[in-house]
Amino acid sequence: MTSPLLEVRKLCKSYDEGRIEALRGVDLAITAGEYVAISGPSGSGKSTLLQLLGGLDTATSGEVLFQNRALGSAVNLDTYRAQQVGFIFQAFYLLPTLTAIENVQVPMLALDILPRNRAQRAESLLREMGLEHRLNQFPNKLSAGERQRVAIARALANAPSILLADEPTGNLDSANSARIIEMLTGIQKQRGMTLIIITHEDDIACCAPRHIRIRDGKIES
Amino acid sequence: MASQLSFPGFAWKNLWRRRLRTLLTLWGIGMAIGAFVALVGFSRSFEHEWLRLYSSSGTDIAVVQKTFLNPSVDESIEGKLAAVPVVAQASPMLFNIIDLTPEVNALVFGWRSDSYEFGSLTFMSGGRFHDRKAEVMIGEALANTLNKKVGESLAIQGSMFTVVGIYRGGTALETGAVIMPLDQLQQLSSLQGKVSGFHVRLRPGPAGEAPDHYLKRAQKEIEAALPGLNAQSATERASNNQFVALAHAVAWGTSSIALLMGILGIANTMAMSVFERTREIGILRAIGWKSRRIVLLIELEATVLGFAGGILGLGFGWGSLRLLSALPQTASIVSASLSPYHLLEALAISVVSGLLAGAYPAWRGSHLSPVEAIRHD
Repeated sequence: MTSPLLEVRKLCKSYDEGRIEALRGVDLAITAGEYVAISGPSGSGKSTLLQLLGGLDTATSGEVLFQNRALGSAVNLDTYRAQQVGFIFQAFYLLPTLTAIENVQVPMLALDILPRNRAQRAESLLREMGLEHRLNQFPNKLSAGERQRVAIARALANAPSILLADEPTGNLDSANSARIIEMLTGIQKQRGMTLIIITHEDDIACCAPRHIRIRDGKIES
Repeated sequence: MASQLSFPGFAWKNLWRRRLRTLLTLWGIGMAIGAFVALVGFSRSFEHEWLRLYSSSGTDIAVVQKTFLNPSVDESIEGKLAAVPVVAQASPMLFNIIDLTPEVNALVFGWRSDSYEFGSLTFMSGGRFHDRKAEVMIGEALANTLNKKVGESLAIQGSMFTVVGIYRGGTALETGAVIMPLDQLQQLSSLQGKVSGFHVRLRPGPAGEAPDHYLKRAQKEIEAALPGLNAQSATERASNNQFVALAHAVAWGTSSIALLMGILGIANTMAMSVFERTREIGILRAIGWKSRRIVLLIELEATVLGFAGGILGLGFGWGSLRLLSALPQTASIVSASLSPYHLLEALAISVVSGLLAGAYPAWRGSHLSPVEAIRHD
């Protein structure tokens, strides 16, 4: 049996001194190269789960294992985020003072990659996203769809093994939504990456090979 | 050609592409450092001019009472002073500050017409005054301010004096001063028989004795011959007199307040700048940047701001000193020169202030959880 790439054991997360329980004992295993969609109503805990899987936050109790090693203790969270995880957010979160190609190079500054190679890699990723004509544009000059494509290129900059997307189509029209999902699934297949998408859109969730529903901090199915 | 992004380049772009905020920060730092440079520079320039006043006339020792402005030294001790073996020449002098017009006041020196101190002056027109006559010599800068020429009259405290010479002195203090017969200033100040002190030129020291040692020995010999009086070296006299001490105290007090306000201003600006960027810090943390790299980025930006703001401040400070040295009210006591030490000190204060001010918000921002930082508005 293949050992999971990511495993979650009895994961709990509470806020406001325990008054709000976002996750209540979640168990989950995800294998390398899997495409998983997580859906659920607002406040169900799906984004919290993604943040804990990505090492953006720490659990109140329980643990997240990456390749059987616990995040935050056996695996340094900064290193994990820099090398193994690529994030895509609903609000894009590009840096406004940098152009598209510069934004894609920012994650690479955390690793020892030669400046020339950084620029070449960023350009290549942006070409792959169909943005070769927008390399030197600032985020405020890009459309919402283009911004999300720059964000995807940035997420791929350090060749991570896991791509985590939190409502990646939440700020996009239906045409752009379809294009972004098509790109993400293409990238997942082509590179054999693990792709975890948080969404509240059933048509996106239902298309994923594995669909997890979450409600009131617990996995339903 | 793809645009390459380096770590310093990232810091530079953050500053350059937020020009308004960068300019406002630089302006705040520049004003604070400019005030510091001008005020401390004013004080040091004043001290420097005093030192030049002594060195240009060749004075080695000043014999005075303990307090600078106490004109209670008896002129009659001149004989005893001249009899001290190390003393080559001793010139009595009286010193005062007198209003010449409602707008212009000036240093007024009372010398004897045979004083060795005339040697440091160059006459632009006219010549030396005569003792016991209502005659004055005025410095070139003061003559220009008062628009006086040789042969014209100058009213001093209700008495009329004839301008007999216009000179160029070795220092701003002399160039903006009036020099008159000692007896005339004594009469004007109701201090007959009294002087502020004596300026002394020493005989050459014996071969083999170090100059410093000889100077100290001469001071002791003079003080032994004239109990109750101080024999101070010219350097001590320049830096320890009460005018300079007062100028120092006022300048340091004012500039400390200016500096404190400046540092608080820099701290506020830096803190606001970093707090505004909390979300960006969260994004950098989310994509794997370590806390120390983020602190380094913010501190690099703070160093650039501190350095550039410091340079701007030096410009403001130097401009202010130039202005002060050109104004009639202050031209006589200040020159526009700034020592390299003072410039480096101001620049260092600016950079260190920027670094310190940026440190806390940078540390705070980088230690927030990425989720918390990204949610920040």
